[in-house]
Amino acid sequence: MLELSSVMKYYEKGFFRRHRTTAIDNVSLSVRKGETLGLVGESGSGKTTLGRIALRLIEPSSGMVRFDGIKVTTLSRSALRQLRPRMQIVFQDPDTALNPRMTVHDCVAEPLTIWHLAGPREIEDRIPELLELVGLQPDLAARFPFEISGGQKQRVALARVLALNPEFIVADEPTAALDLSVQAQILGLLKDIQQKRNLTLLFISHDLQVIEKMSDTIAVMHAGKIVERGRTPEIFSNPQNPYTARLVAAARASEAWFGKNPR
Amino acid sequence: MMSLISIAGLSVRFATRSECVRAVDTVDLEIARGDHLALIGESGCGKTVLGMAVMGLLPENALIRGTIRYRERDLLQAEDAEMQRIRGKEIAMIMQNTASSLNPVIPVGIQVSEPILLHRILPAKAVQAEAIRLLGAMGFDLPERAACRYPHEFSGGMQERILVAIALACRPDIVIADEPTSGLDAEVKSQILHLIKKQMADRTLLLITHDLGTARFLCTRVAVMYAGEIVEEGPAHDLLSLPLHPYTQGLLASLPSAGLHPIPGMSPSPSHLPDGCRFCSRCPSATARCSTEHPRMSVRGARRVRCFHYA
Amino acid sequence: MSRKMILRVSVAVLCVYFVIAICAPLFTPFGPAEISGKPLQPPGNDHLLGTNDLGQDIFCQLVYGARITLLFGFCSALLSVLISTTVGIVIGYYGGFVDEFVSRCIDILVPIPMFPLLIVLTAFFSPGVLQISLLMGVLGSIHGIRIIRSQVLSLAQTSFVEGARAIGASDFHIMSRHILPNVMPVVMVKFVSQSQHLLVMGVGLSFIGLWDTTTVDWGTMIQNSYSSGGMALGLWWWLLPPGIAVIGISLALAMIGYSFEEKFNPRVGVNRI
Repeated sequence: MLELSSVMKYYEKGFFRRHRTTAIDNVSLSVRKGETLGLVGESGSGKTTLGRIALRLIEPSSGMVRFDGIKVTTLSRSALRQLRPRMQIVFQDPDTALNPRMTVHDCVAEPLTIWHLAGPREIEDRIPELLELVGLQPDLAARFPFEISGGQKQRVALARVLALNPEFIVADEPTAALDLSVQAQILGLLKDIQQKRNLTLLFISHDLQVIEKMSDTIAVMHAGKIVERGRTPEIFSNPQNPYTARLVAAARASEAWFGKNPR
Repeated sequence: MMSLISIAGLSVRFATRSECVRAVDTVDLEIARGDHLALIGESGCGKTVLGMAVMGLLPENALIRGTIRYRERDLLQAEDAEMQRIRGKEIAMIMQNTASSLNPVIPVGIQVSEPILLHRILPAKAVQAEAIRLLGAMGFDLPERAACRYPHEFSGGMQERILVAIALACRPDIVIADEPTSGLDAEVKSQILHLIKKQMADRTLLLITHDLGTARFLCTRVAVMYAGEIVEEGPAHDLLSLPLHPYTQGLLASLPSAGLHPIPGMSPSPSHLPDGCRFCSRCPSATARCSTEHPRMSVRGARRVRCFHYA
Repeated sequence: MSRKMILRVSVAVLCVYFVIAICAPLFTPFGPAEISGKPLQPPGNDHLLGTNDLGQDIFCQLVYGARITLLFGFCSALLSVLISTTVGIVIGYYGGFVDEFVSRCIDILVPIPMFPLLIVLTAFFSPGVLQISLLMGVLGSIHGIRIIRSQVLSLAQTSFVEGARAIGASDFHIMSRHILPNVMPVVMVKFVSQSQHLLVMGVGLSFIGLWDTTTVDWGTMIQNSYSSGGMALGLWWWLLPPGIAVIGISLALAMIGYSFEEKFNPRVGVNRI
C-alpha cells in the first residue's frame, strides 16, 4: 500500500547552506495493505518526520514515496490534494490538534464540507454517527476543545479523520500525551476501527511495549536510519541489531516489575 | 516509625466564578523519615496540588483545610517567612516542566547557586565551588564549563539533572519530585532515575508520578490517588503485584504488558463529584451501596484501601 | 473599580459619543457655523457651552465636530486593520520570498514617524479629509502587519493547521477558517488601539491646520480658540470642551482595548492540577 524508497531529508542552515543536518538517511520501507507497521525510535530519530513525509506533508529532499502505486512525490499540488482523503494522520498532542475556536461539530464536519461529501442535512446525520464510532456521546458536538479531556480530543481527531473514509492512517504517537488508562482506551479503539475498515496503519511511537501490542511488523529507527525491520514476534524473540536488543531488553525489564497478570 | 510529615484531613478547593473545584479531598498521609513514597494518579487526580500544598505554593484562590505537620509545626499555618526558610532548605521540590522551570537567561551555575545563597548556607566565596561540585555529582563532565552555559544549550536529560542539582543544593531532608522523567527518552529516563535513586539514599522522597514503572523503581511505598482522594496505600511491591482497589487493578491491567485492557468511562470532573464512591461508574465490581455511600479507608495489615469490598 | 465596570463605563461613554454624533441635529438648536449669539458669551441658558469669538455656539460645534473626528478616526482605523490583517495573514502563511520582501520593506518603513510624514504629505498635496483618511489607514497598517504576521507564523506551525492541510483543505480555506479566527483577538485589540491613535492624530493634523480649515471639527476648534486668544483671555468654555472631548474618547478606547486583551484569553478554567 505504501512504499518509501531511498528517502532522504536534510535541513540546511547557514547563509550558503553550509550546515546540513540529516534527519532521514536513505530510508526504504513498505507497508502492506491491511497491516500495521510500527515505527519505533527515540525522539530525534526522525520517525515523526518520516511519518509526515509518507503523506508528503513535508517534502523529502530526495527519494520516492508511492501510495497504492501512485508516485506521491511527483504529483502536482492539486493532484496531491485530491489524494489526501485516502491517507490521513492523527497527531500526538490532542491539545493542539484541534482548532480552539471550532466546536467539535465543526471540526468533524470540516472534511465533509471541504470535499462536498454531504449536504448540510446529511452532515447533521453523519456527525452523531462518527462520534459514536469513536465512542463519544453525540451531545459533545457543541463543546469546544478546551471543555473536553485529552482522551476525548483525541477521539474527535480520529472521528474527523475517519469522516473521509481513508485507507491509510499515520498515527504519530497518538497516546503519548495521554494517561495510562486513556491510552488503553484509545489504542483499543484504533485497533477496533482498523479491523472494521481494513485500514493500513503506520503506528509511530517511542514505547516499544505499545508497538508490540499494536503492530504486525516493526521497523526500528535510530538517528535517521532504519536499523532493523521484521515481524513483531521475531524482533522480540531475536533482535539482530544491538540497538534493537537494548530497546527490547528495557521493555522486558519494565514488564517484569509488574508480574505477568496482576488480576 | 516516626513521621516526618503528617498530613491530616487535607482538602484543597479552588473557587472559580461558576463552580467549586475540589482538587484534594480529605487526604490523610504519613511520610516517615527515610520513606520513599510514590503518589500515583492520572492527570486531574490532585497529586500535584497535594505536593504544592506541602510546599506552600498554592495560589491565592485556594481554600485549604486540614493540617500538614512537619517538625512540630503546621505548615499550613506557617507564616510566609517561615515557609520561605523551609522551602529549598528543608523541603525541596524538583519541578515538573524543565522548559519552564529553568530561567532561560541565567547561566546554569548561578541558578544552582541561588538556593545556597538565599539560605546562606555557605559564605559567598564558597558558593561557586559548591555549585560546581554539585553539577559534577549530577554527572556533568566538565562542571566548570557547564556552569557558565545557559539551559537551552543542554538536552532534556541534562536539564533534568540541573533541576535535581538545584533541589539538592541545600541538602534538604525531604525532596518532592514532580514527574521527574516526563518527556524523556527511555535511556535518558533510566539514567535520571538511577541518579535520583542514588541521591535519595539517605533522604525522604515524595514522588509524584503517573508512571507506574518509575514509582516501582524509586519507591518503597505507594499511595494511589483518584479524583482527589487516596484510594489505596501500601508497600510498593505488594500493592503493584497484588492491587486491592479496583482502580489500581484497572490501571495495572491497562498497561501494554498486561494486555492494554482499558478502564471504561472517564474520571469525574473535580467540580462535579458524584455522591458515593467516585470510581463507582467505572468499577467492574460496583454494588448498589457504592453509588450512594462514600467509602472510608479500611486497614488491611500494612495496607489501606478505600473500598466497600474490604470494609 | 473592577475590570468589568471599567469596560462597561468605557463602552457606555463611547456609545454616548456615537449617539450624540449621529443624532447631532436633535441636540443642537443651532448649526455649527451659524452665528447665533453674541461673541464670547460664557455658558448660559441659550448656549450650553457659550459662544466663540464669532458668536457660534460651542456646544453645537462640538457635536457636529464629533461626526467628522469620529468618522475619520474609525474609518482609517478600519482600513488600517483590514490591510494589516490581509497582508499579515498572506505573507505569514506563505512565507518565502514574498514574506522576506514585504518584511524588509516594513523594516524600512517602521522607524519613520507617522505624524511628521503625514504633515509633509498633507502640506505638499493638500488632500481632503477622505484622502488623508486613506493615507493614514495605509500608513497605520504597517506596524500591524508585523504583529499579525508573527501571530500567523506561530499558528501556521500548529497541528490543527497541519491537520487541515492533511484533510485536503485549500490554502484559502485554511487562512479564512483556521488562521483568521485565531488571529481575531489580536486584530480587535489592534483596531481599538489604532482608532485611538489615528483619531488623536487626526485632531492633531487639523489643529495644525493641514486640512480644510473651514470644516468644524475638534482640531480646528482647539486651533481657533488658541489662536484667537481664548487661552490668553482665560475663556475656559471655548478652550477646554474639545480637548476634554478628545481625552474622553481616547481614554474610553484605551480602556476598552485593555479589557479586550484580557477578555480574549482563550481559557477561563482553573485547572492547575
